[in-house]
Amino acid sequence: MADSTGPLDRLFGAVDRVRGALTVSPRTVRNLKSEYRTSALSKVGVALILVVVFMAVFAPFIAPQNPTTQNLDNGRLPPLGFTQTEQQTQTQMVNGSIQTVNTTETVNATLAHPLGTNSLGQDMLARVIYGARTSLLVGLLGTSLAALLGVSVGLTAGYYRGRVDDTLMRFADVSLAFPSLVLAIALIGVWGRASVSVPDPFVVAGVVDPVRSALGLPTPMPDTFVLPGTVIVVVGLVNWVWFARVARGEALSIREEEFVKAARALGADDARVVLRHVLPNATTPILVLATIQVASIILLESSLSFLGFSGTTLSWGFDIAQGRAYLASAWWIATVPGLAIVLTVVGINLVGDWLRDALDPGIEGEGGM
Amino acid sequence: MAYGRFLLKRGLQGVLVVWGVVTVVFGLRFITPGNPVNAVAPLDASPELRQRIAEELGLNRPVYVQYADYIWELLHGDMGYSYISSIDASTIVLSKLPATLELAVASTVVAIVLSIPLGVVSATRRHEPADYAATSFSLVGISTPNFWLGIMLVLLLSVELNLFPTSGRAFGFYRSFELLFAEGVGAFWAAITGWLWHIALPAVTLGTYFTALVTRLTRSGMLDELGKQYVRATRAKGLPETLVRYRHALKNTLIPVVTVLGLQMGTLIGGAVITEAVFSWPGLGTTLINAINARDWPIIQGTLIVIGVGFVLVNVLVDALYAYLDPQVVE
Repeated sequence: MADSTGPLDRLFGAVDRVRGALTVSPRTVRNLKSEYRTSALSKVGVALILVVVFMAVFAPFIAPQNPTTQNLDNGRLPPLGFTQTEQQTQTQMVNGSIQTVNTTETVNATLAHPLGTNSLGQDMLARVIYGARTSLLVGLLGTSLAALLGVSVGLTAGYYRGRVDDTLMRFADVSLAFPSLVLAIALIGVWGRASVSVPDPFVVAGVVDPVRSALGLPTPMPDTFVLPGTVIVVVGLVNWVWFARVARGEALSIREEEFVKAARALGADDARVVLRHVLPNATTPILVLATIQVASIILLESSLSFLGFSGTTLSWGFDIAQGRAYLASAWWIATVPGLAIVLTVVGINLVGDWLRDALDPGIEGEGGM
Repeated sequence: MAYGRFLLKRGLQGVLVVWGVVTVVFGLRFITPGNPVNAVAPLDASPELRQRIAEELGLNRPVYVQYADYIWELLHGDMGYSYISSIDASTIVLSKLPATLELAVASTVVAIVLSIPLGVVSATRRHEPADYAATSFSLVGISTPNFWLGIMLVLLLSVELNLFPTSGRAFGFYRSFELLFAEGVGAFWAAITGWLWHIALPAVTLGTYFTALVTRLTRSGMLDELGKQYVRATRAKGLPETLVRYRHALKNTLIPVVTVLGLQMGTLIGGAVITEAVFSWPGLGTTLINAINARDWPIIQGTLIVIGVGFVLVNVLVDALYAYLDPQVVE
């Protein structure tokens, strides 16, 4: 052949192939729309996710305070609508003898801290808003990693079958024998809690302070965001197996279809057949699984932060762990971030149900806490 | 005969996976940065002392010798000695196993007792208030991190209402029975009620996710079954509706539910780890977390192996049961 393909052409070819793999058919879109119109719950789910995504993306603009600013004088302020009575015991000299005096002080909620403050006087609402970033980033990046690994393994196993399949699936069995949380703890235990500081693009661009000043909100906001790197890698590594199982099942059935046989008869190599013909027809169940996995990885991340196995202190799970010590005196410190987790995961699960009902990929909601 | 062959094949597969589990656990130490000698040696240890520690722990031998030794010792129930307390690791790990098993079984019981009636009611009264209540409960149940649920239960029932203890296990289930023979019924009764009182919150905490999950599975399974031809046939035959529902539809629904429960065993154990952390329940989870923080390798390895082997065992049993209930699987 006369045409020489340079590296750039090959790159474009690869991009094209990936794009081809990710196209959604018009029928799928129709199903999604009609299911969405008839189901109120899917609307609730989408709304919840939109709120969380909005909080995560625009955190520096909407947080009422800097989430890391400590103010010990304002510690343990209750949320709006609640008052807090604090008992203090003081020893005093009265007429030459030492007496203990109990004073009861009532602390009122303030508008500056609508959801109250934690023991260090940090604003709970700001921490909930910034915590959404940690949860979503770990959820999305961890799921992408798990999907990349699992889909590669699963498609390979299902396409080649035989000995390749047996070997890869025994690996999956071994991986499955360790609960995600247990394996994650063990891996973080051995690798440490590495994290990456990512500059906050809005703060670096200098648009945050003017906007906040104009709105009368306190400045400055944190200019970097701590991404718990080990956690992301680990949650990806411990959850790949669910993707492998689904991708393998799809590949096993799709490889028997006429169009795959035709492609092979026309001389397409294995890579082309898998990427161009098998993967595009397996996207629906993988997408539905990915949605559910984001939810379970968010739960896993919060568990790891709760146990102190995370690299960041700006996380819902971490805040719950902090609040545990103050259950008797300040219930909201542990309660508020937990509600944020529940609402987020409910939202994702509702969207997962919507996708599953609309697309009917025939998989169970695998994965877990 | 075919069933025997199936069992043998599944059993051998299980052994293979257990071998993989052991190998992964052995390999964990080699992807760990830092020398394991550091966990044992004092900070100012001389090179000679460090050398001696390494020899004592067998760390200076070639990897394949260490591996072969490791497997050989495991086959004899020897997991080495804790770096921290110098107690036999298998003794420590096995002594923690009953507490975790108690918790796992208790929460499974909670889950089964609540979820199957909920799922059935939900499916047979579709689009009625009972169905909405059950589906909302199960949606929130699968979306709630169990450690947070545990803390909220402690906040409401222990801190505010003072109904349950916040942590601890009191007498274990088995030790209560020891008391029965040693001290009589009175002591046994006190011990067993104390045990129930302590395990109530942890069991509900761990069981809620499974209650929610199985409710969802039972509901969708029942809806599927009730729509099938054979259900119409049994109804047309004049069987009472309760018989149709429970003898036929529910029985067929439960078969896949059992499989999913087996697969979710890992989630149950993972959940137990964090539930134990919330309630200071002295089981494998607390042991694992403490061992990781102390870099106590023999204990980490022992705990992981017991968890992994337990998972494989449960799944082989579930598959055996499944094949027994549904002979088509054997083919």
